[in-house]
Amino acid sequence: MIHKYVERRQVQEVGGPIQLSSIFRAGGHSYALLTDTAANKTILSEVPARLGKEFELLLKGGQAPPGAPIDLDPGSKVEGYGLFTFRYGPVTYGVPEAGGFKLVTYGERIIKVIPQVNFKKRLVENKVIGWKPEDALLLVERSAGNFSASYSTCFVTAVEEALNLDVPSQAKWTRAVAIELERIYNHLYVFGRLAEAASQNVATAQINALRERVLRLNGKYFGHRYLFGFNTIGGVRLDISKEDGREILDSIRTLIREFSDLVEYFLSSRIFLDRLQGTARLPKQDALNLGAVGPCARGSGVEWDDRLTYPIEPYGDIYINIETDNGEDTMARTMVRIREIQSSVVVLRELLDKMPHDGPRLEPSSEYSPISSNDPADFSFCRIESPSGDLIHVVQLDEQGRIANLQVRPASLVNWIPFAKSLENNVFTDFQFAFESFGLSYADSDR
Amino acid sequence: MPKIWVLRGIKKGILTNEFPKKKPTAEEIPGRAVPPVATTNSDWVSGEKVCPTGAIQSAPERRIDMGKCIYCQRCAGSGFDFDVSNKGRVKALQANVNDNNAAEVVAKRLRIFKRSFHILMIDVGSCNACNLEVLNLSNPYYDLTRFGIFFTNSPKHADALIVVGALNRAMVDVLKRTYESMPEPKLVISAGACAISGGIFRGTESFVSPIQDVLPVDVVIPGCPPTPIQILEGLLLAVGKIDKEAVLH
Repeated sequence: MIHKYVERRQVQEVGGPIQLSSIFRAGGHSYALLTDTAANKTILSEVPARLGKEFELLLKGGQAPPGAPIDLDPGSKVEGYGLFTFRYGPVTYGVPEAGGFKLVTYGERIIKVIPQVNFKKRLVENKVIGWKPEDALLLVERSAGNFSASYSTCFVTAVEEALNLDVPSQAKWTRAVAIELERIYNHLYVFGRLAEAASQNVATAQINALRERVLRLNGKYFGHRYLFGFNTIGGVRLDISKEDGREILDSIRTLIREFSDLVEYFLSSRIFLDRLQGTARLPKQDALNLGAVGPCARGSGVEWDDRLTYPIEPYGDIYINIETDNGEDTMARTMVRIREIQSSVVVLRELLDKMPHDGPRLEPSSEYSPISSNDPADFSFCRIESPSGDLIHVVQLDEQGRIANLQVRPASLVNWIPFAKSLENNVFTDFQFAFESFGLSYADSDR
Repeated sequence: MPKIWVLRGIKKGILTNEFPKKKPTAEEIPGRAVPPVATTNSDWVSGEKVCPTGAIQSAPERRIDMGKCIYCQRCAGSGFDFDVSNKGRVKALQANVNDNNAAEVVAKRLRIFKRSFHILMIDVGSCNACNLEVLNLSNPYYDLTRFGIFFTNSPKHADALIVVGALNRAMVDVLKRTYESMPEPKLVISAGACAISGGIFRGTESFVSPIQDVLPVDVVIPGCPPTPIQILEGLLLAVGKIDKEAVLH
């Protein structure tokens, strides 16, 4: 199958701006999905001869069986007098999820961080084999609840490509609206957690109130606070009319205005800034070598946004500004998120103003049949810029149109190693700030 | 000009809702399913057929198990009614006496927690949505502390354990040990379809069992995820501040 936005060529070596994004098997053959971060291109290639060590770690994290946590050990063993290994998680409030860390500390100083994932591996990819795509969608969108719109859109787009469905433009634009709303509330969550970590109680309450308003907006127009169930194969369930669009835009505009006002307050608070500046530095070279994605990469000056790297409709038709920052620290990642919230309103305005109204979905019919199913190597994939970064779904369907192969490469899985590296040589009290600024989710990496 | 956060906070006014004195608005519980208006047998049979988690049962007696319902709205097309129209819009809540959707006290109710109630959330394999909804209780719209309910970080300080997520093999031992280290008396609240029945994750390789098979559960809160109001209702029910009949119906 011809992937419209993909360059097909053989890449010999990964390095520099060429990033290895995913390795997947389809029809007994291994492929590598790479990203040229300099030219903003997606490259499909045979598996390069040389992979980074970090990528092997990620494959380990991605394919592990359920039942026991595994360590994502980013480097060589550290030993010495006075070193203490501190186990954090899986039941803490600092990380409100089932996941943990091993922190190797020397006094206050963190020498090494070993993230522990797999506490709640649900093996969604194995479970959906043989299911109808509509049924699989229910599981896929519940893999990571707070990235649900990205997950469902990514999966649905890949399946639609495999089925060769001509989905109405309105559906695609509506999905993009949902993803932007999801980005706003997730970034607000990160910002709220940062404020909470700095004991800024009034500020936390105000940011959380803003987030609640976005969730209610989701509930009002998409029928679910976390955007479950609005996607179907062949379109979306709901019809966002012109008036609805105007209402959503008005609410978001007032919300962003209040948010910008708050940010101004934040940025004049030295107590808050001191905790962020210089914390958990991730130099650009490290970000590239370790394959950081999303706001973490952009906070280190890497200009990479999947909305441009893989411009599915409607991202080709609207203006997307890549928000980057060269600060390389927690502050920079926070600033990227702040600016992304602010530029989301611009994206939403374009999306809602220019949205074509050609019907929300295809009517279900028996015409849903996989094309060229004789070719077993045939696969389709999609990339979506989820709030935490690059999300990849690879889908293969069998002759009956059921899922034969699903492989997911979530954003959080890739960002664990950059996070672990960035925290080295920071003090223990910086942990919360570093962790929140990366926007990592265990549900995402343990899908 | 000095930036004074406290003044800023006061300027915003009161955002907190008046639950449980007033019924929650439709805005606060979007997508909440109301019991079926389906009456014909064929409606029930077709509903049972489309339900992905087996929440709808047409024989031998007609019932909906809200602990299994993941709010996918598939049955909406086959005679079952949701308060979400096909446009995805929220309609006003309809009261119905047969509504078993609200939080339900399974066993005991302890009134000693009425003034101070410390809760610990434990995630045993959720998708993060339930976690966020539980954390949302501390935002100004719901403001948990006005009821004397507080989050705590340690099982040693906790009066109740809120369990979210489909119990994962790797978390069984952790869950049991957390429960054991809590001081008596203690409550267990299981929140969300995944915790109550496994929800959509029932049958995955790593799923062990519903929480009530492992721990003595006192309160169940259905939903996928349950909205903060529903969780709040469950918490108030647990401490005996409200009666089941007094809320949401």
